[in-house]
Formats: sequence, C-alpha cells, structure tokens
Amino acid sequence: MTPVFHANNLTFQYNSVVALSRLSLTIGEGKRVALLGANGSGKSTLLRLLDGLYFADSGSLSFCGTNLDPAIFEDDEFAFQFRRRVGLVFQNPDVQLFSPTVFDELAFGPLQLQWPKKEILERVDAVLDQMEISHLRDRPPHRLSGGEKKRVAIGSVLVLDPDVLLLDEPTAALDPRSQSQIIDLLIGWGDGKKTVITATHDLGLVEDIADHCFLLQAGTLVAEGRPAELLQDEDLLRRTNLIHAHRHRHEGNGVHSHPHRHR
Amino acid sequence: MTRFIERTIAGLTGTMSYVLSAEESATSGGLLQGIDPRVKVIGILALILSSALARRLWVIVSVLAIGLILAIASRMELGKLARWIWGPALLFTGCIALPAIFITPGRSVWTVPTLGWTVTEQGLRSAAYLLSRAEAATTLTTLLVLTTPWTHVLKALRVFRLPVVFVVILGMTHRYLFLLMQSAFDMFESRKSRTVGVLHSADRRRLAASTVGVLLSKTFHLSADIHLAMQSRGYRGEVYSLNDFHARPSDWCWLFVFLSVSILAWRLGQ
Amino acid sequence: MHIPDGYLSPASCAALYATSAPFWYVALRRMKRLLNTQVVPLLSVFAAFSFVIMMFNLPLPGGTTGHAVGVSIAAIVLGPWGAILSISIALMIQAVFFGDGGITAIGANCFNMAIAGSLVAYALYRMISGRVAIDSPRRIIAAGIAGYAAINVSALLAAIEFGVQPMFYRDATGAPLYAPYPLHIAIPAMMIGHLTIAGLAEMVVSGGVVAYLQRAEPGLLRRTAPGAATPNEAPATGWSKTRPLWAALALLMILTPLGILAAGSAWGEWSPDDFHNQTARTQIAAASGNLAPPTEAPTGLRKLANFWTAPMPRYAPPFLKNPAFGYILSAMTGTGMIILAFVSLAWITSRRTPE
Repeated sequence: MTPVFHANNLTFQYNSVVALSRLSLTIGEGKRVALLGANGSGKSTLLRLLDGLYFADSGSLSFCGTNLDPAIFEDDEFAFQFRRRVGLVFQNPDVQLFSPTVFDELAFGPLQLQWPKKEILERVDAVLDQMEISHLRDRPPHRLSGGEKKRVAIGSVLVLDPDVLLLDEPTAALDPRSQSQIIDLLIGWGDGKKTVITATHDLGLVEDIADHCFLLQAGTLVAEGRPAELLQDEDLLRRTNLIHAHRHRHEGNGVHSHPHRHR
Repeated sequence: MTRFIERTIAGLTGTMSYVLSAEESATSGGLLQGIDPRVKVIGILALILSSALARRLWVIVSVLAIGLILAIASRMELGKLARWIWGPALLFTGCIALPAIFITPGRSVWTVPTLGWTVTEQGLRSAAYLLSRAEAATTLTTLLVLTTPWTHVLKALRVFRLPVVFVVILGMTHRYLFLLMQSAFDMFESRKSRTVGVLHSADRRRLAASTVGVLLSKTFHLSADIHLAMQSRGYRGEVYSLNDFHARPSDWCWLFVFLSVSILAWRLGQ
Repeated sequence: MHIPDGYLSPASCAALYATSAPFWYVALRRMKRLLNTQVVPLLSVFAAFSFVIMMFNLPLPGGTTGHAVGVSIAAIVLGPWGAILSISIALMIQAVFFGDGGITAIGANCFNMAIAGSLVAYALYRMISGRVAIDSPRRIIAAGIAGYAAINVSALLAAIEFGVQPMFYRDATGAPLYAPYPLHIAIPAMMIGHLTIAGLAEMVVSGGVVAYLQRAEPGLLRRTAPGAATPNEAPATGWSKTRPLWAALALLMILTPLGILAAGSAWGEWSPDDFHNQTARTQIAAASGNLAPPTEAPTGLRKLANFWTAPMPRYAPPFLKNPAFGYILSAMTGTGMIILAFVSLAWITSRRTPE
C-alpha cells in the first residue's frame, strides 16, 4: 500500500537557517501520528512541507506516490485535489482566520475549490453544527475567545472533508477545558480511515491522539516508535528538551530537583 | 514625559471600542437594521449626493433632518452620535467656517462692536452650507455603518460593480485592524509601564519609531503566514465573495422611497 | 488633512475620482504582476498597518506632537504602487467606517495623499539615496526629506482644490457653495500647518523607521534599493552627487504657486498703466517709503514698455485659467529653457575642446 507521505533525505533552509536536515520518514494511510519535539526542532516546518506550502531544497517528499514540487502544483487538477485532501490547522489562529466572519472563513475553502453555492451553504452549516459554533456564524474573528478561534480554525479545514489532517500545536495557548474539547474531537475524528499528523511538545497529549511518534531535534529525526515506549525513555526526552529537571517543592519532602514534566 | 504614549493609547482604545459598539448596534433591531444592505448602500449614497448637489440651504437641512429621523427609528443613541459624530464635525468644520463669516465679500449684516469686523450675508450662507453639508453627509454615512455589519456593506458595494478583489481586501484590512491596534496598544502599554522618569526628546522619537518599526515587521510576517494559510485551503489568486442577500418586497419599497426622496431633494435643490 | 464631505463640489469630487481611478488600476496590475497571489494578504495587512500608524501621536522636536500618514514608509517598503493601494485602502476605511474624511471626497483624499504623496515620496527617496548601501545614513535623510515633501505636496494639492471652489461654485447671492476661501487664503492656511508640524511628524517617523529597519530588518528596505552597494562597495559618483540638487529644484518648482500670495507687484516691476491706477499708485507709494509716484510714467518707460511682449505674461499662460497651474507651468518652462541653454553651451564647448 502506498504510504500517504514518504520523505527521503529532506533538507530545507529558511532564511539561511537549516530547518530540516536529511530527514527521512514514512507515514501510512489511516495512521495517527505525532511529531514530537521542542520548539525549533523543525516540526512546524515539516508540517508545511507536508502541506505543499514549502518545497524541499534537496531530497524528496511524495504524497500517495506523487512527488511534491512546485511544478506539480501548477496543474490545477492536482492542486485542487491536494488542497481538498490535505488540511493544515496552523498554530496561530489569527493567521488562519483571515476572513471577516466565521461563516466566510468556513466558506473560503469550498469557494476556492469552486463548489456550487447551495452545496457550500449546506456544508458550512453542517460543520458549524459539528463544531458547536453555529451561534458564532456571523461573528468577526476578533470577537472570539481562544477556544472558539481554534474550533473555527479546525472547522475551516474540516469543511473540505480532508483525508489527511495536519495539526500544529493544537492545544497551545488554550485553557484546559478548550484543550479537552479539542482532544475529544481529534480522538473521535476519522474512524481509522483518516490520517492525522499532530505536531506537539505536549507529552500529555501524545498517548491519547497518536499510535506512532517521530521525535525531532534540530531538524533531524532522532527516534521513532510507539508513544508508550518513547515516553518511558527519560534520558532521551531530556536530551531533546521535552522534559527538564528544576528545583521545586514537594509537600513535606522539602525542596529538590528531579526530572518531571508539567501536565 | 509619556504624554504621546497616553494620547496614542487613548486614541487606540477609543477606536477599538467604537468598532465593538458599531458591531453591536448593527445587529440590534431597528428600522434600518432590517433593510437589505444593498438598498441601504444605494439609498444612503443617493441622499448624500443630493445634499452635495443642493444649492438651497433648506434642502440640505431637510436631508439632515431625514437622517436624524432614520437614526431615531433605528434605535441609535443620540447622545453617542452627538459625542462621536456631530460634536467633532461641528467643531472641525465650525472652526474652518468661522473666518468665512467675516471675510467673504458681500452684503454686510452686522458689525462686531469693538473689533469692527463685518459679518456678511454671503459669509453666513457660506458657513451654513459648509456646516449643514458636512453634518448631513456624516450623519448618513454613520447611519449606514452603525446599522449594517461591515462585511454586508462591503458585499453590498458589489452592486456598483466594484471588483471582488477590492471587496476582499477591504474585508481583510478591516479584520486585521483590530489585531494591529491591539498589538500597538500592548506595545505602548508595556513601554509606558517600563518608562521611569523623564525621557529625552530623542529617546521619545526613537521609541515611537521603533514601535512603528516593530509593527511594520509584524505586518510583513503576518501577511506571509496568512498567505500560506490561504494557499493551504486552495487559494491560487482568485477571490470570491458569497452573499446571502435576499431582497424582500419591503426592501424594494424602501429603495423606491430612498430614490424618490433623493431625486426630489436634487430637483428642489437646484 | 482628510477632506470631509461638503468642501468640494460634486463635479470636483467626480473629477478627482476619475483622476485617481487609472492610478488604482495601474497600481493593482503592477502589484499583481510583481507579487502574484501574495497581493491580497500583503496589501490588506499593510493597509491595516497604515491605518494604525495614522492614529499614532508622534513626539516632535520642540515638545509638540503630531500625526503622520506614513506615505514615505509605505513607498520605501512596498514601492510606489503598493503604497498607492494600501494607503488608498486605509483612507477608504477611515472615510466610510470612521467618518474621517468624506465619502464623496475619497477620490480627492486618495489622489492627494495616497497617489501624489506616494509618487513624490518614492521619487525623492530614490533620487536622494541613489545606490548607497542599505545601511547608509543617507537613506535615513532621504526618507525624511521624501516624507516631508510628500506630505506638503499633498497639502498643496488639497489647498488648490479648496481654493478653486469659490471661483466656480457660488449660489444666486454670490455666497460660495462649498469651500469658501480663495487660493490666496487656502494655500497659506493649509501650508503653514504642514510645512511645520505635519511635515515634521512625517519626516521624523520616516527617518526613524528607516533607521530602525536598517538595524532590525534590512531586508525590508531592499525592494526600493535595486543595485544598492554592499557595505564594501563605494557608491557611484558624479551624477548621483547632483541628485539632491535636482530634487530641490523640483521641489522649488512645485512650490512656485506660493508666489500667488504676494499681493500687488514687486518693486520696480510696474507697467506704465500702473501710474494711472489709484490702487497701484498706493502700493508703489507704500513700497517706496511713502513717496508719491509721478503722475505719468517716465518717458523712457513709456517708450520701451511695449518693446517686447512675453509669451506668458504675468506667469499666466492665456489658455490656463488657474493661476497656480500657470505659475508651475511657467516655472517648468523657464527652468527647462535654462537647462537647455546650459546643456547646449556645454555641448558646444565640449566639442570645441580637443579630447
């Protein structure tokens, strides 16, 4: 079976900083995958390469067997198909919510893909319901809370019914309640037929949303495996800055330091 | 000495709260709120034009009065309008019009006792034209904006065959106004709290310039990321606008009313 | 300086909309060709930035504060076409949504500030900065001068638009229907505030931001610095050294209509008829230490007065009704003729000198 994504020796430079260096990985269809790494490890860059927004300086990246390069995106048919099948939820919702209202935002993708008006209206209303944001239909983005923005952002991608969902730090800067809402949504979505790739440094999230992890550091793949295995290796986690040791106080036992992670 | 920071913060806060209150009033139930945006855009523009073309004072004042009536019927808070619109326009245009009362040549009407300045009839008329036209246009424009969500105003502008890209850009600009205003506000607030003692004038200028510079950087990075987000959902250069407007019979009636009044005002004003 | 509704006649407004439209059209085409799909997000966010900048209270030397339009910054960072569009968009939103500037006056405001302002700022910045390195202090000065000149050109255009109104638009009683002040009042009234405070604010923010960008993000300055020397290269000499002078000359030409403000005629520049005219006689006397002029013009003056009839008498070409345009046209013609004379002289003498 053709893997959804196959990267081979991917190298990418941005503003004369090497973001990815000879990265190779394979992601199968229907898998739920986590890209783990501290900030600056190259996770976001990799997601943008997977979404066909950046293109590798050297090495190759293919989607379902087709090599992703600028030339192939010139072809309208491929471009529209790819944009529908692969969706990226950006980390900063203010970047993703660029339309005047929530309705316009959800309708943007279908409009670009030239769906008929009636179908757009139906689909948008359906997703508004699904994300429980129908009451926000005519709201401008600057009057939404952080959690609401995130739900609109996810909705704006889900409206296209993608096969692959890419998420960049989906729970960053969210309050705990919103976080759990997003996690519930991610767990429930897909039913094993959709591929979900989540970039995060939140270790508490990983076991719930992924069956397989890739651990990145400084643009290279350092380890991969099942979440349970990787999370056991405290040495590895500390080396890649995913956990740390600092002084803190335990009740009754005074002040000391040992490796731990914050929930 | 951070007066310029405080004044800027005050300006930003004022504008941001105006944007918010405009959004609220645009969705409250009043006369104009319920009319199709396209009818409103055409109608209000027609009224503004008729007040601009009029050569008779009473016609201009009548248009202003119509605006007032519409404002009351649309549940506008007149006190707020006075503070936001009428007051500033009166002050600004009043100051500009005042000298005209004395220096416009014509038939003298009154002489100021000690100064010997003469007030001419032509001067008074001229000042009256200026003031009434400014107030009428401002009232009508504000009415349109306070009773219609901004995105509807933009989409309605398409009836004038304005290009879609224009409407899309105006919408996106408006959307990011608030974000940039908030960024500027945050930057100034933090600088205000970190500034102790007196700032020399060169430092003050450098502070202002670097705030502008940071905002400029943010602008470019933000627009680059937005571009990526747009492309991610299929954007390839074409822009589209989807409107959900349905004109009802009452909207057609209103269109008729607006246009008739405007044409009448135009004819009577010549 | 945002012109409200009611100050310009509908005809003037329509004319200015019509004048602005081709610039908008060309600007959009150019930007699309340059930036392709990035045009929409870049112009939108930059317009929002322009809007916010216009709200800043800027500290000026002397303790005052002022507001700037940021036209020079826009022109330097986006190029002239991008600046035209983004400032126009900001002005449109200010007019429609915030009532700052009239709806009927959008064409006028965009023409004065966004279009003329951007083009003047860009031209001056490029002329003065030449090909010096991105981090050269000359760019800071160039930006400041470009901003100052641009805002004053905008103010002058607005003043001309105001001043022309009472000439053409009066009601039956003779009262002006729109802006009531003639040119010789409108121009100084507008220019005083802009030559001082507003111009200074524009200069300070333009220079300041370029200085900041040189340190923090020099890449943003590259769009309008093609062929800029890298820090190790020496800048081009010769022609570039005279550029500031050309810029100053152009500026002076644009400012010549200020001559309209001078009432009466210069000392000694009288025609024989002035000696019969009572008003002129009073002016001559006042300018000559209150000595009454002779009742008749001197014979020599009378004989030679009509020896030569100028093609553009009194700096007012007969086909141009507007004295301000007449002045500018006269200035351009005069300067052009002088330049032509010197260039011809240089050409003749260089041919005579053996190589």
